[in-house]
Amino acid sequence: MDTFLQSVVSGVLTGSLYAMIGVGLTVVFGVMRIINLAHGELVMLGMYGAFWGLALWKLDPFASIVIWVPLMFLGGMLVYRFLLRAIIPGGELNTLLYTAGLSLLIANLALFVWTGDYRTIKLKYALAPMRPFGIAVPIPLALAFGLAIVITAALYLFLARTDLGRAIRATSQNPEAAALMGVNVDRISMVTFGLGSALAGAAGVLLAPSLYLYPTVGEILIAKCFVIVVLGGLGSVVGAIAGGVLLGLVESLGAVYVSVAYKDTIGFVIFLLVLLFRPSGLFGVGKS
Amino acid sequence: MPLLEISDLTKDFGGLRAVSRLSFVVEPGEILGLIGPNGAGKTTVFNLITGFHRPTAGQIRLAGASLLGLPPHAVTRRGVARTFQIVKPFPKLSVRENVTLAAFMRLPARRDAEAEACRVLEQMGLAAKLESPASDLTLAEQKRLEMARALATRPTLLLLDEPMGGLNPREVEEASTLVRRVRDAGVTVILVEHVMKAIMRISDRVVVIHHGEKIADGPPDRVVQNPDVIAAYLGKRVA
Amino acid sequence: MTRAAALAAILLLLALPFLTANQFYLHLGITVLMWTVLGVAWNLLGGFAGQVSFGHATFFGVGAYTMMILYLKAGVAPWYGIVLGGIVGALVSLPIGLICFRLRGPYFSLSTLAVAEIVRLVALNWEQLTSGPVGLLITTLPAVSFAGRAVNWESKIPFYYVVAVLVVVAMLATYGLSRSRLGAYLLAIREDEDTAESVGIDTVRAKVVTLALSAFFTGMAGGFYGLYFRYVDPDAVFPIALSVEMVFIAVVGGLATVVGPVIGAVFLVTIGELFRERFLVGHLIFYGLFMMLAIRYLPEGIWGGVRRFVSAHAPARNL
Repeated sequence: MDTFLQSVVSGVLTGSLYAMIGVGLTVVFGVMRIINLAHGELVMLGMYGAFWGLALWKLDPFASIVIWVPLMFLGGMLVYRFLLRAIIPGGELNTLLYTAGLSLLIANLALFVWTGDYRTIKLKYALAPMRPFGIAVPIPLALAFGLAIVITAALYLFLARTDLGRAIRATSQNPEAAALMGVNVDRISMVTFGLGSALAGAAGVLLAPSLYLYPTVGEILIAKCFVIVVLGGLGSVVGAIAGGVLLGLVESLGAVYVSVAYKDTIGFVIFLLVLLFRPSGLFGVGKS
Repeated sequence: MPLLEISDLTKDFGGLRAVSRLSFVVEPGEILGLIGPNGAGKTTVFNLITGFHRPTAGQIRLAGASLLGLPPHAVTRRGVARTFQIVKPFPKLSVRENVTLAAFMRLPARRDAEAEACRVLEQMGLAAKLESPASDLTLAEQKRLEMARALATRPTLLLLDEPMGGLNPREVEEASTLVRRVRDAGVTVILVEHVMKAIMRISDRVVVIHHGEKIADGPPDRVVQNPDVIAAYLGKRVA
Repeated sequence: MTRAAALAAILLLLALPFLTANQFYLHLGITVLMWTVLGVAWNLLGGFAGQVSFGHATFFGVGAYTMMILYLKAGVAPWYGIVLGGIVGALVSLPIGLICFRLRGPYFSLSTLAVAEIVRLVALNWEQLTSGPVGLLITTLPAVSFAGRAVNWESKIPFYYVVAVLVVVAMLATYGLSRSRLGAYLLAIREDEDTAESVGIDTVRAKVVTLALSAFFTGMAGGFYGLYFRYVDPDAVFPIALSVEMVFIAVVGGLATVVGPVIGAVFLVTIGELFRERFLVGHLIFYGLFMMLAIRYLPEGIWGGVRRFVSAHAPARNL
């Protein structure tokens, strides 16, 4: 029973961070109908931001999030405005290929500049895990979980209560109707991409103390991200959250009860099954 | 024996019943008009015959053999060809390539397929535009290209989905003549149309569908006088 | 491209090892040629049929491992192993195609990526068959003679000719496809799959056959990789990056053309390898950069751009 609870807790904690990454990708898909393959690299940039923040300026990663999030928001908007906007009219596949190119570019620039050496962040207050009810909970992961909840809740409120959030949701449901209602779809797209990037970056910062950092980590992350987003339904924020937590649980339980080796495989098999039998996912907004 | 036999055909899309217990036959060599108000289910019937949708219930027989469960390309191979309401040429390919593709089905050798394509295109009056990209053609020409492409598969049954939509009166005349010529060459035709003049003039028989159900079936002049048909098009109070 | 030009290119290809003794250039040539095979193979499905696969590493790896396992455990000579690698790759592609072709567009692409990752993880963990992360190593190659002389496996020249033969065969196959009925069908499927069906084209069969052909050549390239580098492990032959590079080479070079992937391979691989010589890491920067530039400014690829330029200034030729 202990092992079971331990796995569930680990799974939910990690899952919450997966969820944040997934929400970033799905929100962009919802509004622009594009799958951003460079999303994993945005997370990677957040991770390295946290690392260098600590290494160069002694900033605690969880504090430095307030710097990196706005920066990545801005960066995302610039990427949309100057790179993506011209490509999107060319179609989904073209945009997919373009973001694949962008992903390779960012990851390899990082590889070139920062080398492929694995980096880790060691926090003095995080050396031993907490043990509530006898379950080991690493402190950085717990902090990350807490902040992820706060950020996700803030995002949810933003989308549900503010005018801008409503405009985003409207565009996500029907861009033409939204445009007819006076929504500047181009500006909304720019803001949404910025939002997605900021979420990715934030997830990266939060994850940094808990993972090994290397420039090509984006590859694995984006692959997991697809599983989440497809599982939950492309375009659905709630779906991405559910999908993220679900994947975290599946991996964690899978590692204990099936096999450590094949835990990653399970995610992909589920991914294929969902694509084949329920492509709209659990809460999907729509597919092409 | 009728060429096409539709029996108790029913199609549900989730909660929406698009076609309801529809039954009619098409005799070889006739031009059957299929009419009805917008949304009546006419294109759905075509999609069911050609295999793009599976019926919820009912049977579709071509020359006695069931078409149910066959993928679209197999239905075409059995001898049923169609055109689309909104023309669907392969835009980047040339007119000749568009039709050659269809001819390939019966004539696997490229030279034979290309020759057949040219022959059909000449009959359709498109010989001058052989090498033009399909997207360069006018609407009337694209509709003729669609028909040429369908005919290149050497069908016994041709389903035309609003071939006159968007054409001016002179073009409608030309299209009507073309349909009659196709029938005279031995192809049975089902014609979905809204342009009443054309339907009345060239159909041998007319079937009227409303809300997915058949409400009339007979020669054109009798069908237009049918009170149910008038009510369907103009509303009950006018009938 | 006229027959004469094609012939000249083949002759140049075959004569290259005698024009330079520089080991690096030979290695570059071999690498370029291997990637040419990969680009040409991917292009059959991705360019002609318009089905963008992000999982071709599956077939490369399967081909590589087939060759290695057959040689190391059953003594099957590598050249037979390469062909068998291709065949096994094609066989593996059949169930994969039947699953993935149910999906369209980007969903198809993502599903191929998922399949490739599953296969990689299986190769990583099925230690009995593949020796897992340790990989497989060839220590000695069989002693053979060709045209009366013993083949010197220490030199790069024999490897060059093996891959050159693969390139020529792959390109002939592509040329044959482009002139055939199947080739025409693929172009229709790329434009509009549903309309293609309505015109009597069995789209599923066309896609599955094309994938098998594509997987065959990819698998053979994998077998060659094992022969040349003599070491195979899951991260070398099954990574996502490899699949992605294949896509980039075909797109940057020019989709759905016979010559496009060749140009793409020569261009990208040369720049990449030169960069790698000097700086060791990050050569894929150029792949990313040129992919972005191509999609933005030259969607038909380099060769497509060249053709457009030529036809605007001279009578059109069919390629």
